[in-house]
Amino acid sequence: MDDDSRFEDFVAERADALLRYGYVLSGNPHDAADLTQEALIRLHRAWPRVRRKHEPESYVRTTMARLHVSVWRLRRRERLVWDPPEGSHLDALPSGIEQELWRTLGTLPRKQRAVLVLRYYEQLTDEEIAGVLGVSRGTVRSHASLGLGRLRSAVPDPAGPGPEDPAGPGAPNPTATGGRTR
Amino acid sequence: MSDHLEDNLRTTLGHAAEHAPRAPGALSAHVAARSRRRRARAQTLLAAAAVMLVAGGAGIAVRGIADGPVTPAAGPFPAPGSGSASGAPSPSGEPVVPDPVEKVWPEAVWKIPAKLSDGREFQPQAFIDDRTLLLETSEGFEKADAIYSYDLVEHRVHKIADIGTPKGVFASGYTVGNGLIVWQTIDEADGDESTAPRTTEFWSVPVEGGRPTAIRTDRPLRGGADKLTVTGDRLAFSLERGGVFTVPLGGGTVEPVPGADNHHILRWPWVGTPGRHPRDGATAFGELVNVENGDVDEAVVRPGERDVRCGVTACVGTRPDGGSAFFRLRDGSRERDIPGGGEPPAGLVADRLHTVRLPVPPGGQYLHDLVTGRSGDLGIRPDAKGQSVSVEPGIGDGRLVSYPLKGEYVIIDLARIAAESPAGTS
Repeated sequence: MDDDSRFEDFVAERADALLRYGYVLSGNPHDAADLTQEALIRLHRAWPRVRRKHEPESYVRTTMARLHVSVWRLRRRERLVWDPPEGSHLDALPSGIEQELWRTLGTLPRKQRAVLVLRYYEQLTDEEIAGVLGVSRGTVRSHASLGLGRLRSAVPDPAGPGPEDPAGPGAPNPTATGGRTR
Repeated sequence: MSDHLEDNLRTTLGHAAEHAPRAPGALSAHVAARSRRRRARAQTLLAAAAVMLVAGGAGIAVRGIADGPVTPAAGPFPAPGSGSASGAPSPSGEPVVPDPVEKVWPEAVWKIPAKLSDGREFQPQAFIDDRTLLLETSEGFEKADAIYSYDLVEHRVHKIADIGTPKGVFASGYTVGNGLIVWQTIDEADGDESTAPRTTEFWSVPVEGGRPTAIRTDRPLRGGADKLTVTGDRLAFSLERGGVFTVPLGGGTVEPVPGADNHHILRWPWVGTPGRHPRDGATAFGELVNVENGDVDEAVVRPGERDVRCGVTACVGTRPDGGSAFFRLRDGSRERDIPGGGEPPAGLVADRLHTVRLPVPPGGQYLHDLVTGRSGDLGIRPDAKGQSVSVEPGIGDGRLVSYPLKGEYVIIDLARIAAESPAGTS
């Protein structure tokens, strides 16, 4: 199998998962598509080397996180190869708390949001997050703490610590719909 | 401690992710196409710069040594005179580094400060005349903002014009003729040739200075030009995708040059196909047409030969065995070895000048004159990261070689070197 068809297979298998990751990183479908497209273009250019090291997935996810927190998207944005649908899906989230959390995530500085996504969606350790973003572990911790603080003040826990499942129905396992689905 | 907030955050992100857009079926093909276009553009820019950064000079050294002791300076054509004094192998048989270019061709080499007096960096672009250089300054990466003339004898700098271009528009292709500096600006659009092709505009300004004037064309020009030449009162140009055209310097109708539909300008009036960077191992400028008298010439290439690059009268290339390189006339006659141990020769200027990688030290390069057999070390050495600049002569105006070296710019006028007779008298 040649490099091109391997790349095609990778994109066919992983593009939707990467878009999901791009969506939680950026908060909107256009930026999700933009991040995914740019990271895949960079992956294509580095494909022989990256594939040899068996790490295309981590390469592309790291690229997306770094792109998201860099100034790249502020100064350069290519035309997308397809038009993702418009619109907010706030209403589609199952509970008021989730809707409020999602809305507040959109107000966080990019690095804070990226750290929270890497920790709570990608399930990375702070050390891994530090590696992905190229910052120290202390910086990761402080971004996480600031971000969580903002979320906490936006969504006071109505029930307080307790046995109920505040996420509402359909989410008995916190990671059932999150994280990398391989 | 994991609290409710963190759990809520996990589920929120998980649920939200399900609302991400779906990838279109052809995403992989689109991505691959964008990637290739970007690579092609990067190569064009690098080639236009004539100097690029390379890494891994060590691999070159291994090859040079494996091919046996190399005596680069001697070359295949020992000059009858004292031309290649530096070329004798040392008693140990170790390769000998040629003398520095400034010592071998003192009349053709200058070293100038790498920054203007106000501290700004510049890129040498072309010779305006025998003693004057055209420099371009940039306000940022690939963003030219002004052009200057530099008097190599009196070291005087004179601003010719401000040429600030909007974001995403690049100036290149500088050429001089008819008292004018002429160049192109390419609007990159969004980088996608299928939806918004790049467009090119031409500009001119008197050599003495003034305001740049657009050379208006009767229709928009799609794609960039790979070579511009002033011929009489017209600007001739070839497109990167092939095709030679002319337009009056004062602007007007763009006229295709008959019989040059897929051709690239080599040295006016010679145009050829394929161009300087052919695909699939084709011979660079294998077919030549003289657009003034219609003469056509097909270079002789033998089966299995690789990386063959031709000029107006001669070709260089690698033999089928891969271990040796040749120089010969276009008709296949007078074939001789050239140094470099089979490395594809870089550039062929004035049918006689090319660069060769030094086997030791790795990353170095020397300039070799195939007619006189003389060689001069360019002085390039790898930095601590193992990177060094790589010079390809013959890009741009076909006369200027320039590269940064230890805080200075080395300027070489290949026309002066090519004016030397085979006897090596200079």
